[in-house]
Amino acid sequence: MAKIGLYLCECGPNIADAIDLDRVAAEIEKDGKVAGIERHKLFCSADGKKFLAESIKKNGFERFVIAACSPKQHEGTFAEVASDVGLNPQMFQLVNIREQCAWTVPDKEQATGKALRFIRAAVTRVQYHQALEQKEIDCNPDVFVIGGGIAGIEVALRTAHKGRKVFLAEKGELGGMLKERGLLFPAMEPAGDFLGPRIDALRNNPQIELFENCKVKEVLGFFGSFVALLETQEGKEIELKAGSVVLATGAQAFNPKELAEYGYGKLDGVYTADEIEKRGVGKLLTESAKPVKSVAVIHCVGRDKLGYCSKMCCVNSMKIARQIREQSAETEVVELYRDLCLPGKGYDRFYKETEAKGVKFARFESVEVTGGDSGLTVKYKQPGGTGAELAVDMVVLSTGLAANPSNPELADMLSISVDESGFFVEEHAVLNPVSTMTEGVFIAGCARGPGDTRDTIVQASATAGKVLSSLVPGKRLQLETRTSEVSEKLCVGCGTCVTVCAYGATTLDESRHIAVVNEVLCRGCGNCASACPSGAAKHRHFTTRQLNQEVTEILK
Amino acid sequence: MADDGAARQLDKEILSPKPGIQSPAEGGGDFQPRIVGFLCNWCSYAGADLAGVTRLKMPPSMVAIRVMCSSRVDPLFVLKAFLAGADGVLVAGCHPGDCHYQTGNYYTRRRFALTLKVLEELGLEANRVRLSWVSASEGGRFAEVVTEFTETIRKAGPNPAKTEVFL
Ligand SMILES: Cc1cc2nc3c(=O)[nH]c(=O)nc-3n(C[C@H](O)[C@H](O)[C@H](O)COP(=O)(O)OP(=O)(O)OC[C@H]3O[C@@H](n4cnc5c(N)ncnc54)[C@H](O)[C@@H]3O)c2cc1C
Ligand code: SF4
Ligand code: SF4
Ligand code: SF4
Ligand code: FES
Repeated sequence: MAKIGLYLCECGPNIADAIDLDRVAAEIEKDGKVAGIERHKLFCSADGKKFLAESIKKNGFERFVIAACSPKQHEGTFAEVASDVGLNPQMFQLVNIREQCAWTVPDKEQATGKALRFIRAAVTRVQYHQALEQKEIDCNPDVFVIGGGIAGIEVALRTAHKGRKVFLAEKGELGGMLKERGLLFPAMEPAGDFLGPRIDALRNNPQIELFENCKVKEVLGFFGSFVALLETQEGKEIELKAGSVVLATGAQAFNPKELAEYGYGKLDGVYTADEIEKRGVGKLLTESAKPVKSVAVIHCVGRDKLGYCSKMCCVNSMKIARQIREQSAETEVVELYRDLCLPGKGYDRFYKETEAKGVKFARFESVEVTGGDSGLTVKYKQPGGTGAELAVDMVVLSTGLAANPSNPELADMLSISVDESGFFVEEHAVLNPVSTMTEGVFIAGCARGPGDTRDTIVQASATAGKVLSSLVPGKRLQLETRTSEVSEKLCVGCGTCVTVCAYGATTLDESRHIAVVNEVLCRGCGNCASACPSGAAKHRHFTTRQLNQEVTEILK
Repeated sequence: MADDGAARQLDKEILSPKPGIQSPAEGGGDFQPRIVGFLCNWCSYAGADLAGVTRLKMPPSMVAIRVMCSSRVDPLFVLKAFLAGADGVLVAGCHPGDCHYQTGNYYTRRRFALTLKVLEELGLEANRVRLSWVSASEGGRFAEVVTEFTETIRKAGPNPAKTEVFL
């Protein structure tokens, strides 16, 4: 029998206070299955790892069990120690006596009992562990960007700048929502001033291949080796290969047609912010049939319908309001807002400047726009319930941003999800905000959720950084080690495993009438092993034998 | 999913505890059930960790076995656990639609329905097994599932397979 060492981590007071480690050590020693037991205050610290490595070497342990925290926390840490001392990284078992024992069982006696069951199961299991080979493949460092708004452009330029080959597919023209903007808050600079040069840089960069007016039909493959199929307007198909995919499909201004209370599309003089910017504020004022003496800008249009605050529309409303005041000093502008959302740096100042330009602010709870011969009437309820009314010549509806309708289709292709509003879901909303659940698939800009240009650029930079650091040219890609394999002897060629595998990793070898697993595609879920009627499919490191041994020991 | 309605119905059938045979003589008292919990790495195991991180108290009855996906839980593991003396077996995975491996838990659900049938055939109460969906953020739900399931098993008493041969 292999020489097994047991390590008990105190985790400061976290484990030591909740579990009687002396008793654990005494009982396990009595079992006589381990060759040595050692303790440390913090095994994951530099000192702890060094202690562990030296102890394994000194004692000549061939396998070890470490009772500490969750494998989700430190399995990788101790696998590294195992590798460092020349053991195969599968040759240990981390037992979770912290999260799933010390922290949930208040009674020390009971916690100690549970820890013992856990540890005994691990001591048994580790004897059945098998060394696995870490396989590597060449990876493709090229980048495939979907969406040619500012987010996609930025990712493309930044990654191409570092020498990557970039493919950028845009379903229409480049520029996204910014291409129809005039001035941008908060600096009030023309959007074209920085979008134009960026688009030129994109077109002139030999590293970047642009596919405008193209539809993404399919994306297959995996991190390091994706294959995408595009279709041009003329129906021509183009295939391209890349190692990572960036979703920069942006968002779109919400269309308030379906909301009857604003009279949009029915009443003359009611415009959306988006529309006003597309036509130009000055033009609208001068071309209007009768002079525009008063304007109401209504905030939060579509917020309830969308189910979220879009973060950029309050400031955008002010941008329009102050432009009106600047171009026509006699025009009165009232902003009707529900809450003022000023999340960005300098936005509070922007608000004060807007007020200083004579823009009035009034708070509302509900609002209705009606029309008559003399003009438009905006009836609104103030906080507290009293009603108020404004007679105006023009109404500007400040709408939020709605998700891009093609997101669900792309999410399906890439095995990620969209949230209830249709934006792509991040790998972790706080800790991994630009990666997704599929390795090698990233998000940038409004595809992730509404935001302004600055948010978009910050994210695009982060995404570019992630892309550059995750696939380094020349570096080989490490494959999942805990994959499945099929025993040629036992397989009856029934094809069940082929049906259940979500990754197309198993196929039937027609000539030999057996299933084969493609280790590059296999993600190691183990579904095929449960499905196989003959026991031929085996899930490495989670074999039936290993799991049965674990179960039996736990129940002893 | 196209079969969402049917799937939900199936969920209702197999996720809700069935009234089982109760053995009052053995139930209650000092009986501390032994429950094996097969938890998928990405959701339920993380949910169990979160229950710990937020210091939620639970009975010590359930000992977890980590599998990468709930679809790794072969119905035979459940039977094996009963033969080895488990008083209850919990299988927990990501919510339908959220499986880290796309569709694994749909297979789990079907296999679990099959497991229930087999257990009934063998004369073991169906309420000794449970399938639950617990996400990585549902530490509270995990603690509830364990507490409630432990109570059910406590009422049902020790696994009769320990003393009676039923195979
Ligand atoms: C009315 C309005 C005014 C605004 N004013 C300001 C302002 O003053 N200051 C400011 O900072 N921000 C402003 N913004 C916000 C700003 O426009 C966005 O933050 C920014 O455009 C987001 O960039 P993006 O690249 O993420 O998305 P987008 O600009 O939406 O670009 C996404 C691109 O992806 C393409 N695409 C979508 N789906 C696919 C697909 N399936 N395949 C291929 N291509 C696809 C689209 O055609 C589009 O070109 C405003 C927004 C609006 C609506
Ligand atoms: S290894 Fe885990 S249990 Fe030990 S000190 Fe570190 S965090 Fe705590
Ligand atoms: S372990 Fe999962 S991904 Fe790998 S071949 Fe089996 S079913 Fe497919
Ligand atoms: S399910 Fe098992 S027996 Fe059937 S083809 Fe796959 S490996 Fe072979
Ligand atoms: S990974 Fe959780 S059920 Fe498949």
